[in-house]
Amino acid sequence: MAGKKASMGGYIARRLVYSLLIAWGILTITFLLLRLGPGSPADKYLANIAASGRVRDIAQVQAAIDARYGLDKPLYLQYVDYISNLLHGNLGWSLSTSLPVTELLSKHWIYSFELIFLSTVFAVLIGVSIGIYSAVKQHTKADYAVTVFSFMGISIPNFWLGIMLILVFSVKLGLFKTYYDTSLPLFSLGNLKAMTLPVITLGSGMLAGYSRYVRSATLDNLRKDFVRTARAKGLPERTVILKHVFRNAMLPVITIIMLDLSGVVFGGAYLTEIIFGIPGLGRISFNAIFADDYAVVVAVTLIGAMVTLIFNLLTDIAYTFLDPRVRYV
Amino acid sequence: MYKISRNLLFAIVISVIIATMALDQFALKEKLLPPLGYFYVFFSVFMLFYFVYPLYRNQRLTLYYWERTRKNKLAMLGLFFIVFLIILAIAGPFFTADPNYVNFEEKNLPPLGFTTSQSVYDRDTGSLRNAEIRGTWKHPLGTDDKGRDILAMIVSGARVSLQVGLVATFIALMIGTVIGVSSAYFGGAVDNVLMRFTDIMMTFPFFLLLVFIVFIFGADLTLIILIIGVTGWTGAARIVRSEALSLRTREFVLASRALGASDTRIIFRHLIPNVMGTLIVIATLSIPGVILAEAALSFIGLGDPTVASWGRILNAGQDNLETTWWVAVEPGIMLFLTVLSFNFLGDGLRDAFDPRSEL
Repeated sequence: MAGKKASMGGYIARRLVYSLLIAWGILTITFLLLRLGPGSPADKYLANIAASGRVRDIAQVQAAIDARYGLDKPLYLQYVDYISNLLHGNLGWSLSTSLPVTELLSKHWIYSFELIFLSTVFAVLIGVSIGIYSAVKQHTKADYAVTVFSFMGISIPNFWLGIMLILVFSVKLGLFKTYYDTSLPLFSLGNLKAMTLPVITLGSGMLAGYSRYVRSATLDNLRKDFVRTARAKGLPERTVILKHVFRNAMLPVITIIMLDLSGVVFGGAYLTEIIFGIPGLGRISFNAIFADDYAVVVAVTLIGAMVTLIFNLLTDIAYTFLDPRVRYV
Repeated sequence: MYKISRNLLFAIVISVIIATMALDQFALKEKLLPPLGYFYVFFSVFMLFYFVYPLYRNQRLTLYYWERTRKNKLAMLGLFFIVFLIILAIAGPFFTADPNYVNFEEKNLPPLGFTTSQSVYDRDTGSLRNAEIRGTWKHPLGTDDKGRDILAMIVSGARVSLQVGLVATFIALMIGTVIGVSSAYFGGAVDNVLMRFTDIMMTFPFFLLLVFIVFIFGADLTLIILIIGVTGWTGAARIVRSEALSLRTREFVLASRALGASDTRIIFRHLIPNVMGTLIVIATLSIPGVILAEAALSFIGLGDPTVASWGRILNAGQDNLETTWWVAVEPGIMLFLTVLSFNFLGDGLRDAFDPRSEL
């Protein structure tokens, strides 16, 4: 037992070090991409100054801006600046909104969180139930219906689904507003109603995916010996499914949900926020792109990657507690 | 023996293509093909040499897989739609109008069989009046708010989607295969470095990374294809690696090493042909993701503004949902059917290539 604990601690420590390494890789790749790109964060600013015609010597302004942003330094020093700024939690200054990026993010992250959280709850609750149901009823009409439905859910482009929902429920039926109302208090029934269409938009693809995973994981476990034993003991079918099959089937599903949450969901949330006008991180990054506001775009990309990294780490660590069979090599 | 001559022939053909491209890009005044065109030629030649020809040579195996795939009705339905889409993309633009032709006289026409009520300018009285507008045969899918024919835009969008889907997936799989196979075959430090790099790339949420790079480097169709290809290889690399790892210890590889085969020979003659089945399945299942990624980019306005991508039509349609709902509905249906078809086909192929599955 002691040996196991020690190796588990070592495993977690190794995972932590390893995650730091990946974090460093992410920062470095982002930095290199920024420097390789043809544009500069100051381009738009310079263009505005040049267009105003008030400044005669634009090269002087350019030099001043370069000095201010440290762009006149050698590349390795810029790199050191970049990393040390990020380590100090300084994400830069948003030119288009005239706010520090950290302040901007702290105002808007809650909307993304809300959307992703509600969608995940929606997708997990429904996806897991219909997944188990269709596995238990394998080869029935209901099972085929779930299979076809999940194929459709996976294939439907979520941004198109969002537009179609707006077209039907907002424009034609008038049940919802076509745009998210930001004046609503975050914890209110009205806000929950406003989130209905966005949650369906983002959640339906996740739901379809989960129901497929849960179905196949449940089918795998239904054939296992311990299920036969449980049935032979005379346990009611309900207990067999919920206590024996479900618990074992959920392990791989939890991993998939956690991994999905980071990779797939961020892209979906980005698009959903844009369609419905929800002022989350995706939406501010979208606005920043068209305002040439580099700092915000970089910050949102980095946050996406870092949250993914943390999720992966948590999944790995959670797994060591959930599944006693996992070996810590 | 044939293997060497095929590789040699392939090398010769590719050098001719590259030479023509270099000449075309730098020396000739009239461009023969855009850079993307050469991409496409290269892609087709590669597929001909390393996909169509092996299928033709191993007719029995090909027939066996075909029989297995054919049993899956949904997969056949998907294949049918994909073939239709390819024909549409190749031949369609010759029969439809110019997708960029703007004609305000015929704006906001509904699709055939639908009528809408719109206020139109009456030339005789010089005032606006309400009129019932009917869909016409001239524009079977209607027109948008600038009078562009939607059928023409959808046909040219099919071309864009397929180009992006096929070429970007091809690039991604090439990179994924090289990384996966070398990681598995050489192991040790090579494996460590390559897999850690894969982990880093995988930690970026794919779409955010895509948006980030397109934002930095600009939106040009060729560039977007390249970017999707260069960022989208991670999943393939992992799967190929695990396949190759299990193949590496199999008896036939050991036997061929005992007979004195070189690394290159083992990799090209044994490892890669044996992961080909998996690669085809991965390709079929990643194409829809790539098509969706490009559509999503165009949809948020980061796509190539010069091409009529389905995402771009959707973007335009989103703004006028109250009046011209069909502009947003039609390209979405095409996108949905395309993605669904590739998913159906990919699922069928996966079952067909999996010897353990009973059909």
